[in-house]
Amino acid sequence: MKVLVPVKRVVDANVKVRVKSDGTGMDLANVKMAVNPFCEIGIEEAVRLKEADIATEVIAVSVGASQCKEQLRTCLALGADRAILVETDEELEPLAIAKVLEAIYEQERPEIVIFGKQSIDSDNGQTGQMFAALTGIAQGTFASELRITDGKAEVVREIDGGLQTVLLSLPVAISTDLRLNTPRYASLPNIMKAKKKPMDVTSPGDLGVDVGARTTVLNVAPPPERAAGIKVESVDELVDKLRHEAKVIE
Amino acid sequence: MENIEALNEIFSRGRVKTDQADLIHWGTDWTRSFEVAPQAVVFPERIDELVALVKLAREYSLKLVPSGGRTGLSGGAVASNDEVIVSFDRMNQIHAFNPTDRIVGCQAGVITQRLQEYAFERGLFYPVDFASSGSSQIGGNIATNAGGIKVIRYGLTRDWVAGLTVVTGTGDIIRCNRGLVKNATGYDLRHLFIGSEGTLGFIVEAEIRLAPGPKPQRVMVLGVNELDDILNLLQCFQQHVVLTAFEFFSELALQKVTKRGDIPRPFSEPCAFYALVEFDADADEEAAIAFEEALGRGWVTTGVISQSDAQAAALWSLRENISESIAADTPYKNDLSVRISEVPGFLSDVDGIVNKHYPDLDVCWYGHIGDGNLHLNILKPESLTIDEFFERCHRIDPELFSLIEQRGGSISAEHGVGLLKRDFLPFSRSDAEIGLMRELKEVFDPSGIMNPGKLFSE
Ligand SMILES: Cc1cc2nc3c(=O)[nH]c(=O)nc-3n(C[C@H](O)[C@H](O)[C@H](O)COP(=O)(O)OP(=O)(O)OC[C@H]3O[C@@H](n4cnc5c(N)ncnc54)[C@H](O)[C@@H]3O)c2cc1C
Repeated sequence: MKVLVPVKRVVDANVKVRVKSDGTGMDLANVKMAVNPFCEIGIEEAVRLKEADIATEVIAVSVGASQCKEQLRTCLALGADRAILVETDEELEPLAIAKVLEAIYEQERPEIVIFGKQSIDSDNGQTGQMFAALTGIAQGTFASELRITDGKAEVVREIDGGLQTVLLSLPVAISTDLRLNTPRYASLPNIMKAKKKPMDVTSPGDLGVDVGARTTVLNVAPPPERAAGIKVESVDELVDKLRHEAKVIE
Repeated sequence: MENIEALNEIFSRGRVKTDQADLIHWGTDWTRSFEVAPQAVVFPERIDELVALVKLAREYSLKLVPSGGRTGLSGGAVASNDEVIVSFDRMNQIHAFNPTDRIVGCQAGVITQRLQEYAFERGLFYPVDFASSGSSQIGGNIATNAGGIKVIRYGLTRDWVAGLTVVTGTGDIIRCNRGLVKNATGYDLRHLFIGSEGTLGFIVEAEIRLAPGPKPQRVMVLGVNELDDILNLLQCFQQHVVLTAFEFFSELALQKVTKRGDIPRPFSEPCAFYALVEFDADADEEAAIAFEEALGRGWVTTGVISQSDAQAAALWSLRENISESIAADTPYKNDLSVRISEVPGFLSDVDGIVNKHYPDLDVCWYGHIGDGNLHLNILKPESLTIDEFFERCHRIDPELFSLIEQRGGSISAEHGVGLLKRDFLPFSRSDAEIGLMRELKEVFDPSGIMNPGKLFSE
């Protein structure tokens, strides 16, 4: 059973990013990059399926610039068997990514595709669902548990106010939630071995996918700064400020 | 009570506390094993108040204990003899920053972490860092010349102090060095105050130099089976990469940290020791070469590397949480240093001593091994009372400290002398040196009011 795991290269979750002064995007010069944490959970889950003798091959795929190879190498070190980079210097939107992945899916025919539920940079949370719609396969999103038995995937989903368990026929697209697992560290001996694992490079053009943008970013702005707190002298002053300045009481 | 009235005159608006709970709170540092018996705590806000306090202390023969974040591990800030504690909690302003000089001017009571954050917000870096930096103060750091986890790359607190304003035990205000890079005008008194543990005067303000913002960092945790191999590993990495940190801990230390269940082991295979290595992420390839070489030579058995800052922080917590994790075992702590090359011999000698006298006691080793700095912690077994346990541990002190003396090491690497190591100072300093130190104290503090009984006996 093949498992395909799409991974995105994103700004490290701990980095405090700054908006570029011209408002065209984020300032990413010299910023630490990492595998999107939800994609990392996807890789971990796939590797666990392999360790449990359910999966036979784990393939990591990334769509983006050549530097994504760094993150793919990490995935190989974590236990993926091979990697595919669909190289492009364009900033692709979720639909374009989903189409590229559809083309990879047609090539590879995996039974399970494990997405992150969202990427921590653009927070779109759409790619997995769009992919499932394009390919017409079942989807189990926001997974906090995954069990594969007899050609079916049992997925426990995190939904508003509780958990929902769904039973889906393979092939299936899963998206990971935070509680699905805790990813392991990349082991250094495995990083050494990962250098010998294959990494194919292709492009949206080679795959025959139209990745043209359908949306335009007009402006990127930081959230408004919070004003500093002040000390009030009396309860009356507090009530007055809550009523007239903050306007939170009548 | 005449004293207290006089104190109240200098420190108006309730800035003199004499309640028992307050005295205990401000009169103790992290050691918690010395008697605590001060007469008052005062909270200065201005330098002239400190000058007035020193005058008063000389007149009334009051003993003064400068007190910072009270995270010290040698009892330097403990008041056990009717002293007046002088807390810097209210002198916590950062008042100047000059980007050209890259110097911050701040008061002594600024919390270390606040200075780190202040620097970060300006794209700069204050590199002195350790597990207690969320509570310790710059004044306390300077008074102990604090080191920490990045010394191998960035040095000690001393290396970042560009200027100091102090109030001496004679009540004089002196401004040392004023942020200059070069100043060849005789004795640099600044360096006398750094590491003086409050025995010469009060550190009131400091000009702290900042470093350029660091590049993203990478952390490795490596498994090592033989002690000697840790040093081989250090040498091997240093040939290839500029290290930001090189720490070590034993399997027992790791077990204590992971016992709580919130932090996973770095890898499943248990090893005798672990090395934590940190370096700039752009040196990944060189570090990988070092690892391969070390693996080939059999110096490491396995290892992991952080892939994100969150993972780097989780790996660091394996090292940084040790002190807290073993606190429940009431450890007998010792902060020792020898030359880096002496470390393996010294470690096995100490293990020998402990095993000879107390084969039943657990020894938990960790520390800044890249600086030759080791934290020896003997853990209290449940069968012994605290008093029995410390009594037994103290019996090996002379043997331990002689060993350090023979190897030319130091009985206190970075935690100061305070009360804890006072009587053992001669194991690391000659009689002539101690004599000169006493004479220096006499010059700055002729009435003996500044932290008496710390560093050496009164
Ligand atoms: C978990 C933990 C980890 C630690 N790790 C490290 C480490 O890695 N490296 C390291 O070096 N230390 C370490 N320490 C020890 C301690 O944090 C440092 O010694 C720190 O510098 C003490 O600062 P403080 O403000 O808490 O000083 P305090 O404990 O309040 O005082 C320390 C000494 O400085 C004097 N003093 C304080 N303020 C002034 C002032 N304004 N003027 C004159 N004298 C003053 C006091 O009288 C006393 O002698 C650790 C402590 C803990 C609890």
